Amino acid sequence: MTRTPRRPGLPRHHPPGMIPAMAAWLILGVVDPRDRIRSAGKRLTDPAEALAQRVAERVVDLVVEVLDVNALMQRLDLNAVLRRVDVKALLDQVDLNDLISRVDLDALMARVDVNELVQHLDIDALVEQTDLGAVIARSSGGVATEALDSARSQAVGMDGFIDRWVQRALRRSHPGPVAPGRPDGQEPPLSPNGHAPTLPQAGQAH
Amino acid sequence: MSGRPHAPGWVTSQGHYAGSVSRLLAFIIDAAVSAGLFSLGLAAANLLWQVVTGHSVHWTRANIAVAIIFVVWEFFYFGYSWAASGRTFGMAVLGVRVIRADGAALDPWRGVVRALVFPLSFLFLGLGFLGILVQREHRALHDLIAGSCVVYAWDARAARLRFLARDADASVNGSSPSPAGAGRPGQAGGSV
Repeated sequence: MTRTPRRPGLPRHHPPGMIPAMAAWLILGVVDPRDRIRSAGKRLTDPAEALAQRVAERVVDLVVEVLDVNALMQRLDLNAVLRRVDVKALLDQVDLNDLISRVDLDALMARVDVNELVQHLDIDALVEQTDLGAVIARSSGGVATEALDSARSQAVGMDGFIDRWVQRALRRSHPGPVAPGRPDGQEPPLSPNGHAPTLPQAGQAH
Repeated sequence: MSGRPHAPGWVTSQGHYAGSVSRLLAFIIDAAVSAGLFSLGLAAANLLWQVVTGHSVHWTRANIAVAIIFVVWEFFYFGYSWAASGRTFGMAVLGVRVIRADGAALDPWRGVVRALVFPLSFLFLGLGFLGILVQREHRALHDLIAGSCVVYAWDARAARLRFLARDADASVNGSSPSPAGAGRPGQAGGSV
């Protein structure tokens, strides 16, 4: 049997009439008589709460089933609702970083046609107006590359020039055929407007 | 970044039939390189013979044996290059490549056949080469026999990007940019 610790403030020697009162005081210090009432109350309220929740859920289900949401939406003036919305305050409350972190960028990018996107880019302007040009020049530049590009360009220019004159002499008006495929077996590349490019013709710049 | 249409020069001719000038220049480079290599080999053989035997010899191409070896070497140079990669050194410099007439990569045996029938195009004052000028697919006689054609294989788009990049870089650094139109890839008179 454990000994109850002596309460501070109690006299070591006490008169005989005080014993029952002390015992009661000691018992009340350990056991709270209201606990039983609380426990009984909890046993009653918990099922009642659960029942009320079930009833509420069922009622909501029934209302939603009966409700014609489309008809309701038609009656609703969304513009008026939106006019009342303080979008700025709404956006202030939105954590964009959190929102972006939830976006599946891989899935999003898979739906984007990057080739189509790139075809709308004006690469000339991009290179001329940004530091991209310097980056490309540093990464792929070189006297040999420059000379090679220039020589090839000149040769192709002369090819086109001679071809135009020959076509004119032979009185051919239709453009020459497009090569059947690239050396690696791929189709010839499409021009930026999506059509197969044709050989340089008279009056054309390429 | 705007949505304005691209310049016509952006249209690349990569994969298109190569013209006469590119092919002629490639052949001139190949002829010079193969002849130079042969001459070097001949000089090395002369030196080796002198070291081994102690007798000085002077082989020239006028010698019938040397002429035969030269012809075999030329067959090997062109045949091996076409069979292995579809391009010779000169073709690589000019950015052209031999492919099959249907667009697929050249089979090695077609490369060898092309090299074997190549001399036929030289007959009758080079009549076989006339096809490069007048034929719609710019195919010479040896191309028609071997079932091959020659196409541009260099990336003019990348070349044009490099050109623009160099121009932009030069203007940033304060030096004068490349002269307009001088070998400007992807522009008039210089596009692929």
